[in-house]
Amino acid sequence: MRKQRFGLLASLSVAALILGACQGTGPGTGSGSQGPTSDLKIGLVTDVGTLDDKNFNQFSWEGAKQGAQAIGAPEPQSVVTTASADYAKNIQSFVDQDYDIIVTVGFALGNDTTKAAKANPNIKFIGVDQGLCVTESGDPDPDFGCKGDAAKLLPNYQGLVFKEQQPGYLAGIVAASISKSGHIAAIGGTKVVPAVANYIAGYANGAMSVNPDIKVEQQFVSEAPDNAAFNDPAGGKAFAEQLLAQNPDVDVLFQVAGKTGNGVLQAACDANIHAIGVDVDQHESTPESAKCIVTSAEKKLTKAVSDAIKRVADGSDKGGTVPLDITTDSIGLAPFYDAQSLITPDIQSKIDAAIKGLKDGSIDPCSPTACV
Amino acid sequence: MEAILDLPVIGLILQFIGYLVQVVVLNGGLIITLSTPIGLGALCGFMNERSGVVNIGIEGMMLASAFGAWYVASISAGFLPDAAGPLGFTLPLLIGLLAGLATGVLVSLAHAWLSITVRADQIISGTIINIVALGITGYLALLISQSSPRSAGNLSALNLPQPVTDIPVLGWLLATFLEHGPITLSMLVVVVVLQVLLYRSRWGLRTRAVGEHPRAAETVGIDVIALRYRNVLLGGLLAGLAGAWFTIEYGNSFQSGMTNGRGFIALAALIFGRWTPLGSVGAALLFGLADTFGRAIRQTPPAGDLGAVLGAIPPQVFAALPYIVTIIVLAGVVGRSIPPAADGQPYEREATAR
Repeated sequence: MRKQRFGLLASLSVAALILGACQGTGPGTGSGSQGPTSDLKIGLVTDVGTLDDKNFNQFSWEGAKQGAQAIGAPEPQSVVTTASADYAKNIQSFVDQDYDIIVTVGFALGNDTTKAAKANPNIKFIGVDQGLCVTESGDPDPDFGCKGDAAKLLPNYQGLVFKEQQPGYLAGIVAASISKSGHIAAIGGTKVVPAVANYIAGYANGAMSVNPDIKVEQQFVSEAPDNAAFNDPAGGKAFAEQLLAQNPDVDVLFQVAGKTGNGVLQAACDANIHAIGVDVDQHESTPESAKCIVTSAEKKLTKAVSDAIKRVADGSDKGGTVPLDITTDSIGLAPFYDAQSLITPDIQSKIDAAIKGLKDGSIDPCSPTACV
Repeated sequence: MEAILDLPVIGLILQFIGYLVQVVVLNGGLIITLSTPIGLGALCGFMNERSGVVNIGIEGMMLASAFGAWYVASISAGFLPDAAGPLGFTLPLLIGLLAGLATGVLVSLAHAWLSITVRADQIISGTIINIVALGITGYLALLISQSSPRSAGNLSALNLPQPVTDIPVLGWLLATFLEHGPITLSMLVVVVVLQVLLYRSRWGLRTRAVGEHPRAAETVGIDVIALRYRNVLLGGLLAGLAGAWFTIEYGNSFQSGMTNGRGFIALAALIFGRWTPLGSVGAALLFGLADTFGRAIRQTPPAGDLGAVLGAIPPQVFAALPYIVTIIVLAGVVGRSIPPAADGQPYEREATAR
């Protein structure tokens, strides 16, 4: 009996491996553009998902294609990751094929990208949403001590990070301007993830800049970056419904909680109040809640990735964490679509003024509520 | 009154009770709504285990059904009219619900075949279901997201007329228990029906006999295998309902892994409820209450001394509250929870046993 059990377990794990195996790559069609030419081979490893997820993967992929076209390189290739256990393997597949630039998409691939960058100093790595944190020997630092100087240790690895407080600030201006009750809310996955905390700090500050008396509920679904925080739409909806039961006058909800936040958007729709999406244009990525999404606090991934590839091509790339902000139009607000009617010329001018202020540094999105 | 609340320990306890009541009054409906997948999942487990089949695959059954209901509903929404009937039922949603039920039954059929006919280890069978359901639904959802099907929407809650909900106390009770979507309402009906049938019907007596002592049951002419099959498949219907709750009642879209462990909590609720329908659903409600209470403390902490005391406790404790309550109640209140004697033992007919 015992033996049989282990046999079954073994076949189970084989089944799991097969299920999680990588999906493979599609053939490139080649670029027919004139202008500069380059023979840099560009490969992109996605996070778990698809290339047309209307989210991180898709916009990073479009960035890679645009970047390649701009420098006259051949059409990039992609590997779609189907299980998080395959990150390292998928990166390695490009290394083995002598690719020159490897783009990895998403915070979750940071550790494996760091390891690959250390092992392959001649290959350029671009990590989307990856702040570099390494030990003195250039390895990923599990304790987040970040003692090592990533720019020196890994000059071949650009970690693209976004100043989330800036799109958060703009979202806060929109929220405070369209709120009738002067009571708005932000629901984050967990405050231990800096990106979440910064979005929400910026949101609160942006709202206060329009209406100093505004009440901004700032709540977090979970205490840790777990499934409850980012992958539990039912839990997110419940969290938002309970918040609305306690604060029935809240009329704008900003979600910073991934798929848990999609439940928050649904709660806003059910309650007939406004919602603001996060990271990408959620009017497009979550069509089921599109009718109540006013806008989204967006990271412009396409441009960020394309710019990083251009930097590699012209030799101006520097390793380490590359902070991206509004001065390069790497962040911003998504289009308003049907909600355009809510945005009066007065509100639009406030948004434009804030964009200008953020660009020239006269507005600090981390004040009075501090960022992380 | 103020003076009483200011008393050292007693005052604090009274304040706590007051706060608890306040939370329950405000969120009563939400507690029941959130208990639905756990309660229905536990009832699925009840159907399996009382007839002697261990089912730890409830999570996977729910996830597969959630996917099936959502996918079929979205596909049908592409070409069927979506005029809403009672409780928000549209034709696509009705078809989706049926697909969710069918998925639950199909997965249960696999579980029944593995654990009853093939007599495989039932724990392994459940584990396979959990792993395969997560893998396949995740993969299919990825493939499908490329064609981004439209959402079929979701079922809506029963709305009681204003004069009824305005009745003091009774109005609140009716609203809390009845203002729900059809799946949640069905749980409230099914639990009572099962409780009565278990102790008051021939089916209940036979099920208990097969779960406790299948050999004895067979000697009096009960077809153990057939009864186990039937109960496991009926349990699949309940897991199907629980899954459909995620994607066509409470939510309106599918996410990979969206059941987020509620199938395992359902298993705990079943044990906690001593393998009875009322006990299981009661446990699910207690779980929902603890969950809601934990959220309330973090969202709107009470004022005064109580707030100061609760504020000194790390918020992680409140996030873990449902689990802590489960452990305390399991260890202290319920006492020893005894499973059906033949639970998990594949049955061999007397004729073939030798």
